[in-house]
Amino acid sequence: MSGLEQPGPADLLETARRLLLDEIASGLDGAARYKALMIANAMAIAARAAQAEPISELADAAKICADIRAGLHDDDALLGRRLLAYAEARRKISSKS
Amino acid sequence: MDEARRAKLAAWLPAGSEITAMSLMSGGAIQQNWLLDVLQDGVLHEWVLRTDSQATLTHSRPRAEEFALLTTAFAAGVTVPEPLMLCADALVIGAPFFIMRRVSGIAAAHRVVRSDTLGGGREALVRRLGQELAWVHSVRSDNAALAFLSPHPAVSPAQCFVDEMRGHLDAGRSPRPMLEWGLRYLERYAPPRGEIVLCHNDFRTGNLMVDDVGVTGVLDWEFAGWGDRHEDLGWFCAKCWRFGSAFEAGGIGTRAALYEAYEQASGVPVDDASVRFWEIAAHIRWAVIAVSQAERHISGTERSLELALTGHIVPDLECHIMQATL
Repeated sequence: MSGLEQPGPADLLETARRLLLDEIASGLDGAARYKALMIANAMAIAARAAQAEPISELADAAKICADIRAGLHDDDALLGRRLLAYAEARRKISSKS
Repeated sequence: MDEARRAKLAAWLPAGSEITAMSLMSGGAIQQNWLLDVLQDGVLHEWVLRTDSQATLTHSRPRAEEFALLTTAFAAGVTVPEPLMLCADALVIGAPFFIMRRVSGIAAAHRVVRSDTLGGGREALVRRLGQELAWVHSVRSDNAALAFLSPHPAVSPAQCFVDEMRGHLDAGRSPRPMLEWGLRYLERYAPPRGEIVLCHNDFRTGNLMVDDVGVTGVLDWEFAGWGDRHEDLGWFCAKCWRFGSAFEAGGIGTRAALYEAYEQASGVPVDDASVRFWEIAAHIRWAVIAVSQAERHISGTERSLELALTGHIVPDLECHIMQATL
């Protein structure tokens, strides 16, 4: 991020989104309003992603999948909690709280 | 529809019919729905003509099969737009079509779950929907009109679901550990194979048209097939189809009212544990569909903001799946 002129991407996206919602979408209806709200939603996700802490990826997710399917993690609450934490971290970006 | 096709349609309709208005309804990339007003012996009929779009790429249930499903459901007492006429001849308007009676009302999920009065009020509406589902499930696999539906395999519907979803995950571009976790849970706790009935398979708020008085149409029979009755009840009650409402039955009313009305109309007790099992399955199924919709955008098959955003529903669904299975 260093070296980039400010304001940065999250600020730009959020400011543009507010303008879209407050001064453009409010005057629309029907399909046009639906599209404007979709655009605002996409900008909100991108803004949250731009300022989020990096999410630590699950190491070897493909093997975890195969082992779960083979029954090697039945009742493995530790893995279950890790997966829930991973899903929650991704949800913070994809869905508004 | 050009003049030549409209003239052919007019000639195909029963003698004495006059088309007084015809216009294409919005939406429907795969199917086209035309508002059709027809005068017969001085009586105005308001119909909908349903046919395929000219450039259909996506596999979709043929119109004749959809007509058979609607006819069967109508005969079973389900509130569907009454199917009137089927034309399998593609030469009349360019593709097979059927005509059904037009129904009016609101299907938009966010409006339905926010209203305390639509459909006669929350409890009345959810009770009616329980009855509607019972009537759908009264149709059994020996029904000759539905012989085109794939017979249900000998395994339980739950195991069948797990196998099908795993197939989709294996075809995807990324591993999905949370969905695998949920599927393994379903496999371990799968209810045994019970009675196999006709399932709507997309019976949820948003596909149910209502007016101030009650239900006016159970729509979207694209996914109907043989299965476990609790699958439809679970899909309807799943959190992902409550649209932010606190009411557990489709965001509309209480689970108790839904179950009670279903049991009275069907004579079959609802197994709450099975419904909740299928609610977990519902989140997995919706997540798998959302992943594949996003993939259509990512791969360039169909660039679309709506498809792209659908992919971002997945983490929320994964959270529900993990919370329900830990």
